[in-house]
Amino acid sequence: MLRRVTLALLSMVLLLPGLTATAQDEVVIRFRSWSPVIATTEAMIEAFNAENPNILIEPNITNYTEYLVDLQTMAAGGALPDLIGLEPGALTQQYRDQLMPMQDCAVSTWGEDWEAQFYPVGIEQARLGNPEGDDNIYGLPVLTQTINMWYTVPIFEEAGVGPPATYDELLELADMFNAQGIAPVMIGAGDGWIRRDVYMQLIHNIAPGLIYQAEDGEASFTDEPFVEAMTWWKRLFDDGIFQTGALGMSHYPAAVEQIQGGRAAMFPMGAWWQQQAANPNPPPLDQNLQGYAPFKFPDVTGMGAPEDLLGGIDVMLGVTRASANPEAACKVITDWISGAGAQALINTYNDLPAYIGLRPESFGSANQEAVWDLFTEDWLATVKYARQLKSPDVKQALEDALSGVAAGEMTPAEGMQMVQDATM
Amino acid sequence: MVPALILFGVFVIYPIFYIFAASLYEWDGINQAVYVGLQNYIEMLTDDRAFRVAIRNSLYWTVLTIFPQMILGFVLASLLTSGIPFQNAFRVIFFMPAIISPVVLGIIWQRIYAPFGGLLADLAWETGARFLMQPYLSDPKIAIFSAIAVNVWQWTGFSMLMYVAGLNSLPREVLSAAEVDGAGSLQRTRYIVLPMLRHVHQTLILLGVIGTLQTFALVYMLTKGGPNHATEMLPTYIFQKAFTLQGMGYASALAVALLAIALSASIFQVRVLGSRFTIGG
Repeated sequence: MLRRVTLALLSMVLLLPGLTATAQDEVVIRFRSWSPVIATTEAMIEAFNAENPNILIEPNITNYTEYLVDLQTMAAGGALPDLIGLEPGALTQQYRDQLMPMQDCAVSTWGEDWEAQFYPVGIEQARLGNPEGDDNIYGLPVLTQTINMWYTVPIFEEAGVGPPATYDELLELADMFNAQGIAPVMIGAGDGWIRRDVYMQLIHNIAPGLIYQAEDGEASFTDEPFVEAMTWWKRLFDDGIFQTGALGMSHYPAAVEQIQGGRAAMFPMGAWWQQQAANPNPPPLDQNLQGYAPFKFPDVTGMGAPEDLLGGIDVMLGVTRASANPEAACKVITDWISGAGAQALINTYNDLPAYIGLRPESFGSANQEAVWDLFTEDWLATVKYARQLKSPDVKQALEDALSGVAAGEMTPAEGMQMVQDATM
Repeated sequence: MVPALILFGVFVIYPIFYIFAASLYEWDGINQAVYVGLQNYIEMLTDDRAFRVAIRNSLYWTVLTIFPQMILGFVLASLLTSGIPFQNAFRVIFFMPAIISPVVLGIIWQRIYAPFGGLLADLAWETGARFLMQPYLSDPKIAIFSAIAVNVWQWTGFSMLMYVAGLNSLPREVLSAAEVDGAGSLQRTRYIVLPMLRHVHQTLILLGVIGTLQTFALVYMLTKGGPNHATEMLPTYIFQKAFTLQGMGYASALAVALLAIALSASIFQVRVLGSRFTIGG
C-alpha cells in the first residue's frame, strides 16, 4: 500500500512541471454580458476554441438589469473582466474611461479599411455620446438590429388582409381583430423600452431626426412635433389599437407568450424576433419562423412614412483596461464578429450581423430566408435613427411620460414638458 | 466582544457612513464624483414626485398588508387549530405561497391580472362576469392595491403559522377556566386569546414593517414600479436611480432616507409596543 502511495506521489511530482507549463500557456479571458444568451455564447466559444485552444473563455451571462448591477459592482471593486457587453450611448460612456480604444485591434484584424466591412450604422453608433474630439471606438459592434413591426401570418391570411400602411388601415384592422378577441397590436407597455421604441417611430414619422436635436439642446421636447407624436401614442390606446390593459403587461415574457399563442395580429419588436425559431421546442408559429413576417411602422400621421428605419447596434463588446491579455481579448472579439464564433452566433438567428456578408448556414423555411434577406439586403442599409438616447435621465423621463400620458394622468403637452425638464 | 464589534463596524457602521458620504456627491458609481453638498436631499424633498409616491405607497403597504394579513392569519389559525379534518394539509397549502420566490409570484400574478389573455380576464370572458376584467396593473389608481393584494395573499399563510404556534402554546387551564366561568367563544377570543397573543401581534407588526421597507422583487416583477411610478416603493426607486439612471449619489440619498425611516419606525415600535418579540403566548 505504502509503495503505491509513494509511486502515485512521485508520478504527480514528475508530471507537475508539464502541467504548470500547460497552465502558463493558457490565457484566461473573462467575459460578462447580457447578450448573446448563454447557449449561443457557449457555441461561439466552442467554435473559437476549435482554432484557438489556448485561450480559455469564462463566460457569465445574466439578464440585462442584473448585468448592470454586476458590472458596476465589479468596476467599483476594481475587478472588471477582460471583455464586457456594451450598448451604444449611455452605458458605453459610463465605462469609457475603463475601456481600451478598439481601432488598433480592428486594423490588425481587418486592415486599414476595416470600417467599410461593417454596416455603416454599426460604426456610427459605436461612437454615440463620445465627447467632442474623441473619435475612438470603445466597443466593436457584434450584432445590429432594425426596429419594426411584425404580423402573424396565419391570422392575416385567414382574414384575407395585408399589413397596414396608414392609420386608417390600422384602425380598420383593429376593429376587425378586436371583434374576434384577437389583440390588434400586442404590446407589453409595462416595459419602458418598448414604449420608447414605438414613440421613436412615431416622432420619426412626424419629424425625422428631430429628437436628437432636442437631446443636444437645438430643439425643445415641448415643440409641437413631440407633443403631436405623444398625442398619436395616446390614440393608439384610446382607439383600441393596443390590446386592453397594455400598460400593465411586460413585453417579455407576458406579451410574447400571447403572440406565440396566436392571440396577436401585430406587434412591435425588432429584427431579433427571428431568434424565436432557434429556441428549443418552439411553438408552431415560431417553428422556422413560419408564422411571422416583418413590416414597417405604418404612416400613422399621413405625413409619409420615413424611408429610413430606427435601429442600430444590438450589442457591442469592449476590452477593459483591467485586462491582462488585451491581444487575446481582441482575438476573441474579432472572431465573434467575423470568424468561426460569428458564424456560430449567426446560425442561431440571434439578430443581424454587424459585419457585412455573414449569413446563417441553413434556413428552415423559405419565409425564414426571405425575412433574413429583407433585413440584411434591404432594411439594414437604411437604418439611420439610433434607438438609444444619450442621456439616461431623458430616456427615463420619456418612458415615464409615455406611461403617464397613456394612463391619462397627464396631457401630451405635460408629458413632453416632463421630458424637457429632464434635459436641465 | 471585539470580533463582534469589528464585524458590526465593517458590515453595518462603515456602509452607513459610505452611503451617507456618497449621498453628498453627484456620482454615477464609476467615474469621478462631484461634491454637491445637500443638493440631492433638497431635490429629493422638494422636486421628486416619484419619491413622494414611494413614501405614500409605503404607508399604504404598511397599513393594508400588515393588518389584513394578521386578521386573516388569525382566522385561519383559529380554524386550523380547532380539530377540523385535514387541518395539517390545509396549513401546508395556506403557507405554501410564503415559500415561493416573489419573482415567480410576480410573473404568475401578472398573468392572472392581465386584462387581455389573463386568467381573470379569460374567466370573465367565459362566464360573463365582466367585473373581473379590470386594468389591475395598468390603471395608476388601482395598481398599488393590486400589488398589495398579492402580498397579502403571499404572507397570510405566514401569519397563520405564527398564530398557530401562538395558539398551541396558550395554557389550556386558563381557557378551560374561562369556559367553566361561562365565557362564550367570542368572549374567550376577545378577552383571553387575543391579549395572550400580544407578542405574536408585535412580532408580525415588526416583521411587516421591515418587509414593507424591503419590498422590491414582487413590485419589480409585477410592474417595475409603474405605470408612471404609481407602484413605486423606495427600494425599487433606489435601484432604478442607482443602476438604470447611473445616479449612485442620488440613490444613496434615497437610501439614507430609507434608513432614517426604518430607524424611526423601529424606535417607535419599541417605545409603543415594547421590545419583547416572540411567537409564544
